Amino acid sequence: MIIAERKPLSEILGMIQGMHRILVLGCRGCVAVCSSGGDKEVAVLASALRLGAVKAGSDMSFGVQTLVRQCDPEYLAPLAEMAKGYDAVISTACGVGVNFIADRCPGVRVLPGLNTTFYGANLSSGEWREMCAGCGSCVLHLTGGLCPVARCAKGLSNGPCGGSVGGRCEINPETACVWHRIHDKLTDLGEADRLMDIMPIKDWRTAGHGGPRKRIREELLP
Amino acid sequence: MPDKKKTATVKGFCCNYTARLSGDVLLEIGIAPDDLQIERLACTGRLEVTAVLDAFSQGAEAVFVAGCRHGSCHNVSGSKRAAKRVIEIKKTLQELGIEPERVEMFLVPRGESEPVVAAYKEMAGRIDRFGRFHKE
Repeated sequence: MIIAERKPLSEILGMIQGMHRILVLGCRGCVAVCSSGGDKEVAVLASALRLGAVKAGSDMSFGVQTLVRQCDPEYLAPLAEMAKGYDAVISTACGVGVNFIADRCPGVRVLPGLNTTFYGANLSSGEWREMCAGCGSCVLHLTGGLCPVARCAKGLSNGPCGGSVGGRCEINPETACVWHRIHDKLTDLGEADRLMDIMPIKDWRTAGHGGPRKRIREELLP
Repeated sequence: MPDKKKTATVKGFCCNYTARLSGDVLLEIGIAPDDLQIERLACTGRLEVTAVLDAFSQGAEAVFVAGCRHGSCHNVSGSKRAAKRVIEIKKTLQELGIEPERVEMFLVPRGESEPVVAAYKEMAGRIDRFGRFHKE
């Protein structure tokens, strides 16, 4: 899922300085699952911002709403009416939701309440780790299912580098060297021979370096 | 949002099993009848972060949470959960430039009023030390 974290309150308060009515808008998609932008989190954020306003002696008021998703037009449709009377909408969706509101809702001033950080897995309650970089050219069939693009600090296609020591990454010893793990995994699977194949230079155009990406499935178009 | 004038300077969120009687006694003996508001929770595990932040917004200058000592919570881990939320609230206060010590979790024995009285006095003392953060 997409992982995000709340922006510092001072940054959000700075965005809304001088405004009077703010709608804090949650999303029940990925950001709800990673406990950063769902119903509970928007309520807490609104309470925190309200307290910040009280401390500053401001008369700012805050409304709270949550949409099923902010990245689908059918769920976003009610926002035009919902946002009436508000000076701005603080979206606690990922950046996709913020962009989609900006694209689809004329007259709505949308501000990001979160920093969208990575695609990750939930290791345990309160802990998430990056597992995929969305590079658009998956090589997991060659690496025992472990991603060198997302999980190698250097994004090496043919690792490990010379800094891998005892299975740990030289950038951060708390991080496992994914190439060490790929070696172990492929050995366990009896596929260690794969490591003899040199991966070609990666074509990063699919990773967004060729401009914003889109996907169309003709059979699903209306 | 409740009327700001009705909100006490110190607000206590007290566990039903541990602190209700203590809180009631505290009010009954008139230690600070105009200054203290006690909200009884079925268990401090039910404490909402928003409730504490809103208490501050509504006029409280300090908030305490009184729950069971770890290991004696009627609901096993309620007071542990509350303590974690209080830590989260402290971080939020700090982000807003408000002294995090304005909120505190107190683990108190059941049925004894003195620890809750002490919690109130501690928080009232902290208000004296920090001053008021609400604008007049």
